[in-house]
Amino acid sequence: MTKYIIRRLLQAIPLLFIISVVLFVLMRNTGDPLATMGGRRATRPEDRARLARQLGLDQPIYVQYVYWLIGNDWTKIDMNGDGIAETQGTRQGVLRGDFGFSLLSRGKPALDIIMDRLPNTLLLMIPAEIIVILVSLAVGVYSALRQYSLWDHIVTAGSFIGYSMPIFFVALLSMYIFSVNFKRWGLPYLPTVGMFDPQVGKTTGQIVLHMVLPIFAMTVITSAGYSRFVRSQMLEVISEDYIRTAHAKGLPYRMVITGHALKNAALPLVTIVGLDVPLLLGGAVVTETIFAWPGMGRLFIDHLSRSDTPVVMGILMIISVAVVLSQLFTDIIYGWLDPRIRYD
Amino acid sequence: MRRQWIFSIVVSLMIASLVLAACAPATPVPSTPEEVVQPTAEEQMPQPTEAPSVQPTEAPTAAPPAESKIATFAWTQEPDSLNTYYSDMWFADILQQIWSCWAWQYDDQNLPYPHLVTEIPNIENGGLSVDGLTITLHLRDDIFWSDGTPITSADFVFTYDMVMSEANAVSSQYPYDYLDSVEAPDDHTVVMNFTEPFAPWESAFWQGILPKHVLEPVFEADGTIDQADWNTAPTVGCGPFVFAEWESGSYMRFVKSDNYWLGQPKLDEIYFQFVPDDAAQTAALKAGDANLGTFPPLSDVPALEDAGLKIITQNGGYSEGWFFNFRDMASPAIKDLNVRQAIAMAIDREAINQDLLLGLTKPAETFWDALAAYGYVPPDLVPWTYDPEGAKQVLTDAGWVDTDGDGIREDANGNKLTITHGTTIREIRQDAQAVAQQQLREIGIDLQISSNDADIFFGSYADGAPPAVGDLDIMEWSDSTYFPDPDTDYWLCDQIPSDENPYGYNYFGCDEHLDALFRQQLVTIDPAERTKIIQEINKYIHDQVYWYGLWVDPDYWIVDQHLTGVKFSGVTPFYNIMEWDLQ
Repeated sequence: MTKYIIRRLLQAIPLLFIISVVLFVLMRNTGDPLATMGGRRATRPEDRARLARQLGLDQPIYVQYVYWLIGNDWTKIDMNGDGIAETQGTRQGVLRGDFGFSLLSRGKPALDIIMDRLPNTLLLMIPAEIIVILVSLAVGVYSALRQYSLWDHIVTAGSFIGYSMPIFFVALLSMYIFSVNFKRWGLPYLPTVGMFDPQVGKTTGQIVLHMVLPIFAMTVITSAGYSRFVRSQMLEVISEDYIRTAHAKGLPYRMVITGHALKNAALPLVTIVGLDVPLLLGGAVVTETIFAWPGMGRLFIDHLSRSDTPVVMGILMIISVAVVLSQLFTDIIYGWLDPRIRYD
Repeated sequence: MRRQWIFSIVVSLMIASLVLAACAPATPVPSTPEEVVQPTAEEQMPQPTEAPSVQPTEAPTAAPPAESKIATFAWTQEPDSLNTYYSDMWFADILQQIWSCWAWQYDDQNLPYPHLVTEIPNIENGGLSVDGLTITLHLRDDIFWSDGTPITSADFVFTYDMVMSEANAVSSQYPYDYLDSVEAPDDHTVVMNFTEPFAPWESAFWQGILPKHVLEPVFEADGTIDQADWNTAPTVGCGPFVFAEWESGSYMRFVKSDNYWLGQPKLDEIYFQFVPDDAAQTAALKAGDANLGTFPPLSDVPALEDAGLKIITQNGGYSEGWFFNFRDMASPAIKDLNVRQAIAMAIDREAINQDLLLGLTKPAETFWDALAAYGYVPPDLVPWTYDPEGAKQVLTDAGWVDTDGDGIREDANGNKLTITHGTTIREIRQDAQAVAQQQLREIGIDLQISSNDADIFFGSYADGAPPAVGDLDIMEWSDSTYFPDPDTDYWLCDQIPSDENPYGYNYFGCDEHLDALFRQQLVTIDPAERTKIIQEINKYIHDQVYWYGLWVDPDYWIVDQHLTGVKFSGVTPFYNIMEWDLQ
């Protein structure tokens, strides 16, 4: 297993290199970060030339990539526009943990900007993912074990309704019902936006209260989809011979379901959740935007729309690394769930 | 056992996230200076000529208010920086009157009044030299940074030096690169020297002063102020509020300054909650979670008003309008003045304003309508009125006749009167575009409409953006002069984009008469004389139909009933924030 893990990690290095090249080239061609720097007026040609030089955007794209990757502290750059490189570079490059400075919030390290948001995103996404897994397992298994019962039909209908609703609709609908209208009706109500009420302060209770609606909006749709998946997997597994054998040898019903059926039915779900894990870092763009939750999704969109390469590349590379690691982790989990799978 | 281990990791992650989110400090809270210099006696204060009705008050009383007055403003865009020279965002710049200060600010008529200076320079008071090459500012002697350090002319010189330094990646060096030098002969005098007259000086200079005593040590240590903490956590300011904290993506908080030289504001704290989604902003305002919002979707206005919220509009210099292309690649039809005039007569702008914009604004007759207080619209200008029959007659007289009976006119050579029109995908623009297409069809003009995402539409010539490369005969968007100044570079002949000048921003064409007038007003220092030139420009553009206004595009503010004393300027919106209160 150790050899396998080391081999996978070594394979990840060229993969991440290729990903970084592709993303960097795409990113540098998606927009002009200097276009809006003039504010009310279009950026003047003289300001454009100066800013391009100061921000390193006047260099060929491969030079920009090299500086981004390994830094420029080994060379000199032209800062005053006289055509002579006179200033020692200071960037260390991603390989040494320097993601560069944001082009928008100039002077602020991209990594600091990302790390400011990461805890908020994890705070929202981890509970949401756990709830999704628990709800979908519970609903899916229950529905499968009572196939074609009234309850199965109700759950099936509910799942389809939930799955067919776009998340912005669920988010705004829940906001209007549980915040705006509940308040108008004199009922206990939930807050609309943000992480806490400024009149109260940033307490744990306030944060939890403000998490309710965003998590609800995220889990309704995903749980609906995953529960259908679990249901079909469970239906397939419980008709297998080994389940019948387990029943025949007198194992308790609960043990058959949880110890044999669910464990096997959960394998495909592990794949999906494994793919979800790195996306947790990316946040939920729509939910974060509507509920004004300060997470990575909004950060990504805000900086992507203004072509802030260092921040966007930082986010994308963190997610890329997470994808590689989570897939490795998923494969290891496979081995745990299904002893037939061997990697050595 | 392994299950317990995984469970423990997950729970630990959640707890860590919760703790990090709850306990992580936002940008640091400013430390209270040990020695606070209070505003000095009134006799030391030359009074502003037309300052808002805020009088210096005595030092704050010791007892804090029983209940803090915390106003929450929903802010749909998060600022990129609080150092105005590093920001290009309206949502960042307009915060200046909360925590920072300008040499002169603007009232609700968008007229300037002195703030840091005793009077605004002009030729009569000697502040502006007759040749326009020297401007002298006299600073008040009772102005202080929030840490008690006096604001002096050295701060002005330092601001100039920092903007012009090659080591600082400021967004723009305009207008400071028009200056030859800035001098500080004494602590309260600033002398600005130009190599040639620069008429827009009043609306362009000293919109934010940098504290030399805070930033100079940073510049000396780092060689730049690009990474200065002050840019994102300006713990020293010169406004009625002091920056307290900024949590990325979440909120920004300002608290009442105990050391503001014009007294104390009525609010204790202002909390800017970043709410990027318009619909969520509407919900937050209706739920009472925010006291102030901006730019609501127009379709939400009735619901907001029903909920007791007030919609206030203020001209910010912008008007929505059509820019006509008369460059070489434009269609021959649009280069025909008769066609442009017929178009101007065929659009029912009043109906568009009433039906699409709910009557919240009014048709814009000229590019300078939004600068109403300055009188740039000539009195003899005859507005275009909705007259489809007259428009038909103009086209017929000009030789545009429908000879094949398909409803579209042709010229003598049989060329169809087809015109291309493009705009962004903003809903209101697409709606207006559809209305225009129908109304022009009624007079025999075939309007071919298109729309692009704003990123594509407003790209450069190098990007192949449709307006820049001249693919469109008519281009629609909302724009302004260098508000509140009447100047604009849009019709300058040397700004036509080309391979040699890929970032030029004259997408419309070169008219040498117009170009000469624009250059003349730029160096005309006498305000009355300059106004006459602007009026001439205005009338010329109007009569030539180089620009056709659809509606004045004001700033929209949503104010809840608890917030009182609220007025807005279009230039410095929070100019009277001292008077705002929560009831």
